[in-house]
Amino acid sequence: MNNDNLMKLAEDLVSFGRKMGANQMEVTVNEGNEFSVDVREQEVERLVQAGSKGLSFRLFVEGKMARSSSSDLSKETLEKLVVNAIDRAKLSSADPFSGLPEKESLNVDVEKLGIWDPAILELSPEKKITAAKETERICLSDKRVKKSFGASFGTYSGVTYLANSNGFSGSYRRTACSSGVYLQSGDEPNLFDEGWGDSSRLLANLESPEEIAKKAIHRVTRLIGARKVETQNVPVVFESPMTAGLLSFLYSCINGNNVYLKQSFLEGKLNEKVGNDLVTIIDDGLIPGAAGTKPFDGEGVPVRKTVVIEKGVLKNYLMDTYSARKLKMKSTGNSSGPNNFYLAAGTSTPEEIIKSVEKGLFLTGTIGFGMVPTTGDISRGAFGIWIEKGELAYPVAEITISGNLAQLLKNVELVGNDLKFKDSITGPTIKVTEMTVGGK
Amino acid sequence: MLSMNRRDFLRKSGASLAAGITSSLWFDLLADGSIPTNSTALFTDRFGVAPEDMKKILEIALSKGGEFAELFFEYRILNSVRMEEDIIKDSSENVSLGVGIRVLKGIQTGYGYTDDLSFEKMKQTALTAAAIAAGYSKPLVADLRETKLKTQVYDLHLPFSEINLSTKVNLIREAYDAAKSYDQRITKVQSSLVDEIQYVTIANSEGLLISDVRPQVRLTASATAEDKGVRNTGYGNAGGRVGLGFYQNKMTPAKIGKLAGDEAVTLLSAVDPWAGEQPVVLGSFQSGVMIHEAVGHPFEADGNRKKTSIFWDKMGKQVANSIVTIYDDPTIPNLRGSLNVDDEGTIPKKTMMIENGKLVGYLQDRLSAKLMVMEMNGHGRRQSYQNNPIPRMANTVLAPGDATPEDIIKSVKKGFYAETYQGGEVNDSGKFTFSVNKGFLIEDGQLTKPVKNATLIGTNVQILNEIEMIANDTQFFLGTCGKDGQSAAVTAGTPTLKLRRMTVGGRQ
Repeated sequence: MNNDNLMKLAEDLVSFGRKMGANQMEVTVNEGNEFSVDVREQEVERLVQAGSKGLSFRLFVEGKMARSSSSDLSKETLEKLVVNAIDRAKLSSADPFSGLPEKESLNVDVEKLGIWDPAILELSPEKKITAAKETERICLSDKRVKKSFGASFGTYSGVTYLANSNGFSGSYRRTACSSGVYLQSGDEPNLFDEGWGDSSRLLANLESPEEIAKKAIHRVTRLIGARKVETQNVPVVFESPMTAGLLSFLYSCINGNNVYLKQSFLEGKLNEKVGNDLVTIIDDGLIPGAAGTKPFDGEGVPVRKTVVIEKGVLKNYLMDTYSARKLKMKSTGNSSGPNNFYLAAGTSTPEEIIKSVEKGLFLTGTIGFGMVPTTGDISRGAFGIWIEKGELAYPVAEITISGNLAQLLKNVELVGNDLKFKDSITGPTIKVTEMTVGGK
Repeated sequence: MLSMNRRDFLRKSGASLAAGITSSLWFDLLADGSIPTNSTALFTDRFGVAPEDMKKILEIALSKGGEFAELFFEYRILNSVRMEEDIIKDSSENVSLGVGIRVLKGIQTGYGYTDDLSFEKMKQTALTAAAIAAGYSKPLVADLRETKLKTQVYDLHLPFSEINLSTKVNLIREAYDAAKSYDQRITKVQSSLVDEIQYVTIANSEGLLISDVRPQVRLTASATAEDKGVRNTGYGNAGGRVGLGFYQNKMTPAKIGKLAGDEAVTLLSAVDPWAGEQPVVLGSFQSGVMIHEAVGHPFEADGNRKKTSIFWDKMGKQVANSIVTIYDDPTIPNLRGSLNVDDEGTIPKKTMMIENGKLVGYLQDRLSAKLMVMEMNGHGRRQSYQNNPIPRMANTVLAPGDATPEDIIKSVKKGFYAETYQGGEVNDSGKFTFSVNKGFLIEDGQLTKPVKNATLIGTNVQILNEIEMIANDTQFFLGTCGKDGQSAAVTAGTPTLKLRRMTVGGRQ
């Protein structure tokens, strides 16, 4: 259950800050418990179990902000940090856009969000170890799997408390569990690493060891024998986790902070057509049981459903209080980042999408960092399966893909029906008209 | 008794609350402007954990049959200040305090941590970590004997933890103004200073007790240039385990700002690369990232012990062109990855990985060294007390050759020159990619047009064998490396070098 002492600690520190000269103050306390087990070659290799607490705050003195955080929750340390922060704030610059959000009432029943599952707390360490061992055992029984980097199982439970000087005081708790395995296939020098993992707020929604093992085996073995292809421009089909990767890049382009700093190619494009009709992109923090669901964001602003792109038209950015004020808009409850940020599902099955491609790339993995929000440019290492005449023909690796997000949004040709809310950024399989594949 | 110590200290620190904001430290500066280098006293006096308590906790940690136990105490203060839109927008002070308790048995690790240093809470945490070994044994813990550091590889004179905010703001502003005024096409600038001081005390069941005080600072500027609807961002940064003097003598904030401005403006006229295989020259400015990612990781001992690195069975074999020598040296003074002692209490050594093309060593932590029956070399590192140590790089270096950068560029008829990077990634099988922020086309032995949107892709085996020429102009790249979910401050240094062929990705 929630710990009233920590709520009180937050509220008391707000009062202390006000007394010492802060005009506004906000305190967040997080308490968490983690357990994780790593199994490799059927032996427990590492077991971690710990509980921790942390407090962070920000305060404002005449529009000047300073922040602080501590894992040392002694009154003496916290009060010293407040005094230091007030002194630092005074040396900072006044910023008319800074400050706490206006008070908004929470119209959400926290207990109905489906993000707390007592079954996760009750799961014994032995069962977690068994699940990890079983996942790995199934994988190792497939002769095509050469090595296991290990399987793991983890659980987490935590509570967040937030209090501010505008009278907000709230808390919520959540659980999470995760399970995964990472494998190697192929023969030297052509080795392939791949795996699969699943996570969930609710134990019952977590994929079983059998399901995880099956997906991991499929993912690592389908790359065996991969080759390079000639450099060419072709249609690309994004497997659903790859669509999520593209969306996380899009998030950095519609995140209010990058927009007001003009570090996004989508700055100044509100109400313009930035994608084609198939593209509808939403952030919804209230989907029951989803990874990014929560009652309020890191500033105590209630989360909500925000349509970012509707049938290709840019409708909104995702903002915290500060960037919203800079953009003369309203916070969307995104101070903690994306809540559940997704591309709305279409009607095609992934199989139909692949069938529609005469020659192209089915993209299953990328490595590297080449995505620039300012320009929308994308350039990354890639691997996947080559498509010929609508069929998955052979695996390809050591290639690059490059393109530009502005173009890709306009070039989405097909959207799959395979959307799942497992991660806070998610999307279905999609097909785009053309990207450059760099190879030989 | 424990709480007496703590209260006693707090009374003293309470009295100093009014002393102002120059310091959040619990030590006084020494007469020469530096700070004490031993933190054992900090954990004993400030947090009330005396060596005899540490010994008791170690005994509890071994009470279920573990073979080795270790305590990692950490107290870290991280400060940051950020300037944006011509004003100081944000400053923060972040305190991290806790102990990590590790128990080893065979290949197994039990790990627990707590941010509460009361004896009772540490005892509970020790029992949790102990549970990895299911048995009972009478624990043998040697008496703790403190080892004093013999060398000092950090500059602790005028450390940033002791520098007042207005001095930091001046440095930030100098970098900011230099970037902003570099060119009228610069539309946005950000500048920030992040500094930390980390106090570490490590005690283990073999009787080791050792402490380290580690400074770290980095001043960063980024600039966005805009012209005719084209926008690009450039970066500059410098720092290390240094004090205020570094920015006065070695690398001025104005130079950092200019680097950012210059890169942003240069990219305005940049073209896309020629995609496909071609000769590639890696410039010395930042290509250390390539040495770190493509070459360093497979030499970390854990992947070799688990036989997942491609090099696990290649000790003593020729794995690179014979002009290639690569080592990791945490003892180079004042670099971002420098260490007096690693996070397991081992004094680090310069460790050769490839000597004249031959594989000669791995970067070891305690667990891998023991299981592989090899010597430790001080590369066991961890992100914080919440993480168990793993083998990591510190300062990785590709040794210089006898060419000059000019010879190298002249030798390429048509190819690509990589100068700055956004990052790189390598998987255990050795496949890597680097994203180049700024590069150049090489045409007839000369750098011609600037290039953006390029990706370099290949495998580590291939790259080691494709190194054809090495120059003598070594520079270090400042990085933060991620592995197994833990980040570590590192540098990597390389001279300009030429790869016979490499795949360059870009648009057609």
